[in-house]
Amino acid sequence: MTLRDLTSEAASEGELRERIVRELGFELQSCFRCLRCTSGCTSMKLLELRPHFVMNMVKLGLVEELISSGIVWTCALCLKCEERCPQEVSPSELITLLRNLSFQREENVPEAYLKVVSSVLEMGLIQEPMEVVSREFEEFTRESLGLPRIVGPREAFSENLIELMTRGAG
Amino acid sequence: MEVAVYWGCMIPTVEYAYELSLRATFPRLGVELIDLEGVSCCGSPIKSVNRLAADYLALRNIALAEETGTEHLLVPCNGCYLSLSEALHHWRTDEELQGEMEKFLDKEGLTLEGRMKIVHTINFLHDIIGLEAVEKAVKKPLTGLRLVSHSGCHILRPSKILDVDDPERPRKLDDLIRTLGAEVLEYPESLDCCGAGLLLSHPETAVSLSATKLRAIQGLGVDGLVDSCPACHMMFDARQETGARAIGCKLSLPVVYYTQLLGLAMGLDERSLGLHLNQSPVEKLLERAQKTFP
Repeated sequence: MTLRDLTSEAASEGELRERIVRELGFELQSCFRCLRCTSGCTSMKLLELRPHFVMNMVKLGLVEELISSGIVWTCALCLKCEERCPQEVSPSELITLLRNLSFQREENVPEAYLKVVSSVLEMGLIQEPMEVVSREFEEFTRESLGLPRIVGPREAFSENLIELMTRGAG
Repeated sequence: MEVAVYWGCMIPTVEYAYELSLRATFPRLGVELIDLEGVSCCGSPIKSVNRLAADYLALRNIALAEETGTEHLLVPCNGCYLSLSEALHHWRTDEELQGEMEKFLDKEGLTLEGRMKIVHTINFLHDIIGLEAVEKAVKKPLTGLRLVSHSGCHILRPSKILDVDDPERPRKLDDLIRTLGAEVLEYPESLDCCGAGLLLSHPETAVSLSATKLRAIQGLGVDGLVDSCPACHMMFDARQETGARAIGCKLSLPVVYYTQLLGLAMGLDERSLGLHLNQSPVEKLLERAQKTFP
């Protein structure tokens, strides 16, 4: 990416940045980059996620770049950054909003998330009750274990969910 | 005492050992569990694609639970515990959201009062049932067992909303284990995340994280790891072998739910606690427990 790209992109992304700022429960400007979030980040060591850097990118209006890089999906959502921030800023909340934006723009959302969404829409849960195998290789189901039958949600549920999901981010 | 229980997705669809052991142990502490019908996903994975939809999912489950009339809503899964607590906090503090949600809940014939206290297995046992009552239910103390605990992220943080335990130094699960007669060790990695949050986007990294923590625990020479979240448990128990391959080491650490350990101390049958369903080598732990208390 050249300097020219950076400046021109930044100018055109003001609107995306403003949209995020409106949804956030804190001020972006409160972050003074003490790096406490990054130093305790679960995903920093293995996936090079640096929460303070994500904060700064948004401050600069580089939202498009963040979404297309896929970096927002490297967060483990352990929430240590939010817990430990001395400025009551939440990088994890910002990352969640950026993920919402990715979904809305149908860009870079991991396949497995889409599967979960369609399963919740269809049956209310992330998956059907599964058959499990014991250490002795015996097969079991909820029924054979004597567990009660699951009663799923009624129809109005999926209508509601579809309506909400097709709305704007956040 | 009657308590409504919201199981979430993972416990009733795959982590049957948690459900079995909770159903086996709680009645012995005088707790009658009331199952809910029509409940859905708590919203946890949905939050990443749409925050508002996640709040709706959580709130509709709370509204369904309110119909039971019980004071507490027991949520044994950490992820669900956070989702429900967070959505209720949003609902209580955001009038606009309240109005919005009312419309959607109404279409399902639901109303939300927001009066229930949401509790997790750990603070329910520690704070409401109490250590004394738990101790009284112990028939076979687990003396001689040396264990470590993993509380998990989503009952500790963010502490401005959640109040299960101290976010930087949780002790309640350790106290609960000690009450059963076992010894508990503190260890530097106790707050490390299990990695389950990365399973949908970076599965290899997810299992590397859980395996790295397991390797550190194994190095302590303890008899096992005790947890109380279906997502963390799946990472440490069912994915132990996959994780070991990912980081290139051998892992064979028994991993049990606290409710399974509690059941053992109550003298309950292993199968009734779902101990045959754990994928980690829990025999080692069971043998040790047997030796110290035949």
